[in-house]
Amino acid sequence: MGGLFTLGSSLIAEAEQTHEGLSYLGLWVNVLFVLAILFGLMSYAKKGLNERVFKNPITQGFEQVYLFIENMCVVIIGNHGRKYVPMVMVLWLVIFTGNIVALFLGESPTADLSFNFAMALIAVGYVQYEGVRANGLFGHVKHFAGPKLGGVLVIISGLIFVVELISEVLKNVSLSLRLFGNIHGGHVAVESMNKLGEPILVPYGMFLLPIKLLTCVVQAMIFTLLTCVYISLVTHHEEGHGERHAPAAAH
Amino acid sequence: MLGLGIAALGVALGLGLIGFGALTGMSRQPEAIGRLQVVMLIAFAFVELVFLLSVFVAPGIVKGM
Amino acid sequence: MSTERNSGGAAAVVVATVIGIGLMMGGMYVSLNVHLGFVEAMNKSGIPFDPGKTVSMMGVLLILFPVIRIFFIAPLAAAIGGRTSELERTFAEAEELRGEMTKMRSEYEHRLVQTEADARERIQAEIKKAQELGQALRAEAASHADELRRKAEREIEAEKNRVLTELRLHVVNLSLGATEKLLGENMDSATNRKLVQDFVDKAGAAR
Repeated sequence: MGGLFTLGSSLIAEAEQTHEGLSYLGLWVNVLFVLAILFGLMSYAKKGLNERVFKNPITQGFEQVYLFIENMCVVIIGNHGRKYVPMVMVLWLVIFTGNIVALFLGESPTADLSFNFAMALIAVGYVQYEGVRANGLFGHVKHFAGPKLGGVLVIISGLIFVVELISEVLKNVSLSLRLFGNIHGGHVAVESMNKLGEPILVPYGMFLLPIKLLTCVVQAMIFTLLTCVYISLVTHHEEGHGERHAPAAAH
Repeated sequence: MLGLGIAALGVALGLGLIGFGALTGMSRQPEAIGRLQVVMLIAFAFVELVFLLSVFVAPGIVKGM
Repeated sequence: MSTERNSGGAAAVVVATVIGIGLMMGGMYVSLNVHLGFVEAMNKSGIPFDPGKTVSMMGVLLILFPVIRIFFIAPLAAAIGGRTSELERTFAEAEELRGEMTKMRSEYEHRLVQTEADARERIQAEIKKAQELGQALRAEAASHADELRRKAEREIEAEKNRVLTELRLHVVNLSLGATEKLLGENMDSATNRKLVQDFVDKAGAAR
């Protein structure tokens, strides 16, 4: 049993030899690179904003993204979800740009666990902030304890409270680790497939490009989608909407 | 190595089940495709998370013990 | 609401910037100087995690959210909203215009129908009037003709009587003359005349 796991970890360690995490400065360079691309696109798209019909293709793309995210927010969170659109859209844009950069370069912010963890912390922290703002501090804490139970069942409430706290922490881990695993795993997969095709000089890894492109979009979407679900969970008690998502989110 | 294989097997089964369920639901109710896709993606994410946890976290924990 | 959010937004930007810069500095310090045991363990087991980087990136993201919102998303949302409202307005205007057109058309059709009915009625009335006039004219003409015919008949009657009287007188005279010549002068003219007269009357009655 132990040998099994040492095998697995040694495999990962081998992968890590080629892909140790970015250094502090390297992460800064990557983040600034991504932000430069993002801001360049945005300022280019801003020029086409004043027309009656958006002819600028970049502007059209941003418009589509905006409408998509607005739709997502409204469907998942409800009618008051429109005010979370900017926050969710910034997350989406950063993740998507980072993923696209990761398609072509070996390193990218989203392929770095620390950056993803920062994003997840921000997202979940924002969710907690919204929860406190919507329900009050006490109401928000009470929300962790699950449904109201009387008598001896208070113990169960306490258990639920602990479980919910753990799940709240795990939200961070799950969000960041998912993104990291997908993007970084894509890199590793490409590397190993390239190694596979080395003897006959065929870069097999390049054939993974389409599925990696799909992963880019899907991962950006899942990150923002889960953020929306978390927001809807903490801000949506009165309309009975959150209960339906509860089993899905209470992992 | 074998553990990775087992984990991949389980995740593949889970993803297949989710896809099967989602496709069945979609073909039964084409008007609910949007909602089903969202829920399906969320379920995908959680199944995938289990695999990632098993790959990245479990070896460390076991080694630390 | 919106003004409150705007002022709150400006304050939030300042706060976020300050916190973000602080986090960046702290993260840099942590990343370069602090070495935590569990992080070492994680790194060894294959999870390249660096809390210093995380903290700094949290700072970057904190600054990034309001900046991107103000720099791009707010104008984009405003543009899209403006366009949507403009479209809606245009659509509403078109709808209104269409309703007006429909109303006008129905009104016009109604008026057309009414006019047609009016015209038909008037034509009918004219036709009726003309027919009446024609009938009256015909009746008048018929009566006129009748009158003329009666007059003519009367005239004919009168003429016949006159001619008959004349003829009788003439016959009397002729027969008187012939009888005188036949009988000579000895005949009392008065008695004879009476006799002849009687005869002629009888003849006239027999005739």
